[in-house]
Amino acid sequence: MSGRNGFWALLFHTVFVIFVLAPIVVVCVVAFTPEGYLSLPVNGPSLRWFEALLNNRDFVSSFQASLLLGTISATLAALIAVPTAIAIVRHEFPGRTALLSLCMSPLMVPSIVLGVAFLRFLSQIGLGGTMVGLVISHVIIITPFVLRTIMNSLGSLDSALDNAAASLGSDGMTTFRRITLPLIAPGILSGWVLAFINSFDEVTMTIFIASPGLTTLPVRLMLYIEDSIDPLVAAVSTVLIVLAVLAMVILDRLFGLDRMLIGTNDADKDK
Amino acid sequence: MSPVTKADNTPSASFLAIDGLTKTYNKVTVVDRFALEVEEGEFVSLLGPSGCGKTTTLQMLGGFVDPSAGSIRLEGRDLIAAPPSKRGLGMVFQSYALFPHMTAAQNIAYGLEVRKVPRAERDERVRQALDLVGLGAYGDRYPRRMSGGQQQRVALARALVIRPRVLLLDEPLSNLDANLREEMQIELRRIQQTTGTTTILVTHDQTEAMALSDRIVLMRAGRIEQIGGPEAVYARPANSFVARFLGKTNLFPGTVGADGRSISIGSHVFAAPAAATPGATIVAVRPEKLGFGEGGIRGVVRNRVFQGTQWLVELDTEHGPAIVQRQNLGAVPPAIGEATGLVFEPDAVHLMAPEADK
Ligand SMILES: Nc1ncnc2c1ncn2[C@@H]1O[C@H](COP(=O)(O)OP(=O)(O)OP(=O)(O)O)[C@@H](O)[C@H]1O
Ligand SMILES: [Mg+2]
Repeated sequence: MSGRNGFWALLFHTVFVIFVLAPIVVVCVVAFTPEGYLSLPVNGPSLRWFEALLNNRDFVSSFQASLLLGTISATLAALIAVPTAIAIVRHEFPGRTALLSLCMSPLMVPSIVLGVAFLRFLSQIGLGGTMVGLVISHVIIITPFVLRTIMNSLGSLDSALDNAAASLGSDGMTTFRRITLPLIAPGILSGWVLAFINSFDEVTMTIFIASPGLTTLPVRLMLYIEDSIDPLVAAVSTVLIVLAVLAMVILDRLFGLDRMLIGTNDADKDK
Repeated sequence: MSPVTKADNTPSASFLAIDGLTKTYNKVTVVDRFALEVEEGEFVSLLGPSGCGKTTTLQMLGGFVDPSAGSIRLEGRDLIAAPPSKRGLGMVFQSYALFPHMTAAQNIAYGLEVRKVPRAERDERVRQALDLVGLGAYGDRYPRRMSGGQQQRVALARALVIRPRVLLLDEPLSNLDANLREEMQIELRRIQQTTGTTTILVTHDQTEAMALSDRIVLMRAGRIEQIGGPEAVYARPANSFVARFLGKTNLFPGTVGADGRSISIGSHVFAAPAAATPGATIVAVRPEKLGFGEGGIRGVVRNRVFQGTQWLVELDTEHGPAIVQRQNLGAVPPAIGEATGLVFEPDAVHLMAPEADK
């Protein structure tokens, strides 16, 4: 055989990619319709629905809330995950596996159950419907993603590096700052991005704890669709898709996307 | 830089004194009462088979493994109480453990930076260290863009630049191919002699240990079997384990005569090189000291290998297998299947107590 991929493999990939991309393309095209209902812009494109979006106070404030929530939660999650990962990967202590399971457990519990639980819990402690409440719940469900990538990064580090630094006279804090941290930075960053995306994207749980005054974008979209389907939702989706693609391109340029998503340690890029 | 020196009452304290050093993991003793005195500037190798506790011993010296018992004193100062970062020892790891996000020069500078050595002096010492290991032009390279041998040199320079009191090397050459390893052995010895740094090398390669060391510490299963200069341990191994570990050897069962002056291996009788204790003994003869001739021990050639500079001949004798190594000086040794006698000078033999194990 000459090529690395046979005919059927190529065909399968093509069909698969079309299958995944088609709905996205359709949504983006529909967003440019001048009509008042979901349709293809056969009479030429229009920015009508994007204008409507900008003038929709609910959507704009939800978008801001989602950005803020994602940024704060992902950052807090990363701050929690770094020391936790170091403890779990580098040290042997009683309850080590229990701690790991505890940190990973939000992945196992259905979001809807978490939603109900948080609804109860947050209103009990007087944080129902507040940003603080949303942050707490989001940090808990996105920490596993950061923890996973940081643990991968740490695990692939030669444990002799720390000993080498110590033998050169470096104390623990200096070694962390100058050796460990730079080497796990790609893992932290990719974990942060994954965590942010998961927070930004989260509906099932958030719908229980958001309040009419403070609602994230996906929840707003959900609620909106319940009583009206117009091209406004397509416009929102298009904006999100464009932002996502932009973020991907920037990250790829800066760090190399595949390397980030795998979370390897080749921090030293060729100059 | 040196921490408080503790008063030491033991007389004739040597430069580095290790005593009774023991490590036990869940009741398994992996290093058992290791005792060694090292003089300043000495090059000592810890040699032994895999799993005999060499790395554990070195890690206890470096401070990365806590000893279960024993003491380590460097110039009279108790080392065990000090954390690794305060011991002032240089260490080269088997994996080199170079910092991948730093260039060769940055790697070497690290130990000086954490010591707050001023910029100008630091740059100068880094440059000297790079020159010392022959990497003057490679300061700006990242480790992963260097060959194994070059990485090894960077690791060595990084350990030496802090002017350690003792340099600890854990199989630093084992990841290199044979040619490079030989080159690096010569290099390592040269650098050690230039700097005069007291060095402890861990290796399981007996030629490496013999080529480099002033003294060899032979270890087996956590215990020291013998300590001595390379020539001494090679010529006079304490037991058959040491004899076998330091290269090929022939061991024949023998008997020392009642007068202690003659030795017999079967029907072959010869004069003892020195007065010996009468009774059963093991006669060790190195393969390069055996020759072919009339008389001696009878044997049949089983295999014959030509190796360029020498011939290697394996025989089956009446007293077990034997191996002979002859310099290729033109004479061709007996062919496979041929019967011959194995002869040796009486003073070529070394006697060992027979109970000294398998
Ligand atoms: N952390 C540990 N826990 C339990 N046993 C250990 C530990 N570290 C080492 N050992 C055991 O101690 C023994 C000595 O190990 P060590 O690494 O010192 O051997 P070595 O002489 O360096 O061998 P090699 O030549 O293979 O490197 C081995 O049997 C090993 O299994
Ligand atoms: Mg070892």
